[in-house]
Amino acid sequence: MTETNGSRDSVVIERSFDAPVKLIWQMWTVPEHFAAWYGPNGATIPVAKMDVRVGGSRLVRMDVQAPGGAISMWFTGEYLEVVENERLVFTESIADENGNVLSPSEMGMPEGHPTTTEVRVQLEAVGGRTRMILTHVGIPEGSPGAVGWTMAFGKLTTYVASHVKW
Amino acid sequence: MTVPVAINEDKLSETFAALANGTRRAILARLAAGAATVNELAEPFDMTLPAISKHIKVLERAGLIVRAQHAQYRPCALNAAPLAELSSWAEQYRPIWESRFDRMDDYLHELQHRGRTGERR
Repeated sequence: MTETNGSRDSVVIERSFDAPVKLIWQMWTVPEHFAAWYGPNGATIPVAKMDVRVGGSRLVRMDVQAPGGAISMWFTGEYLEVVENERLVFTESIADENGNVLSPSEMGMPEGHPTTTEVRVQLEAVGGRTRMILTHVGIPEGSPGAVGWTMAFGKLTTYVASHVKW
Repeated sequence: MTVPVAINEDKLSETFAALANGTRRAILARLAAGAATVNELAEPFDMTLPAISKHIKVLERAGLIVRAQHAQYRPCALNAAPLAELSSWAEQYRPIWESRFDRMDDYLHELQHRGRTGERR
């Protein structure tokens, strides 16, 4: 993995937990555990269906408390890589309750916001602890050329950023 | 969780369009090193001054460069703010994940404190 911090299309977070790798793996793959930490403060995860195998699907419902009552949001996705206690990769898209993907504009988000994002979890045992690297990546829409463009753009941004303070 | 952000969409499209050209990116890279006049910017390119001026106008409209109003040669300077805005969608996830992992940490402590290691499979 050569992903770096600060790319326009991804966010990388590294954390260390005082727990064995096996338990951290369960945090991601056992619905009861996942529901305990995944929602934002005040939110609940009433549904977490996870068919954790390559090609398996997931469907998560998140209820967020709002002034007008709870708002339900559904997220769907597919498991792309499943290496127990080591690596988990899945996609995530905003969906309806049947797992049909919604477009960003249907959700009131700007065009260009990726419809699908990819979540990569890398685990490593360090003594009795676990080092976890999370990468959350936007899947560029459009042609393969769009990817090259994004890379060229990323280089420019990096270059400019190293010369200017914003 | 995905959070809608208030980004001016037209402005973003304009920024992208302005950046979708090698000459204009080269001009920005040059300006990252300091302000320059149109003549100075034109120097490395095999292009007429009007052609370079056209590129500069596109960058100016996109808000990527600003030009002095009164100086005789109206030097161009880089305005990097629109570039910073382009980097915002991925970064908006960082605080969300950080607080999730804080909760995971608390939950792990709770589980392990109870003497249950969550062995269930």
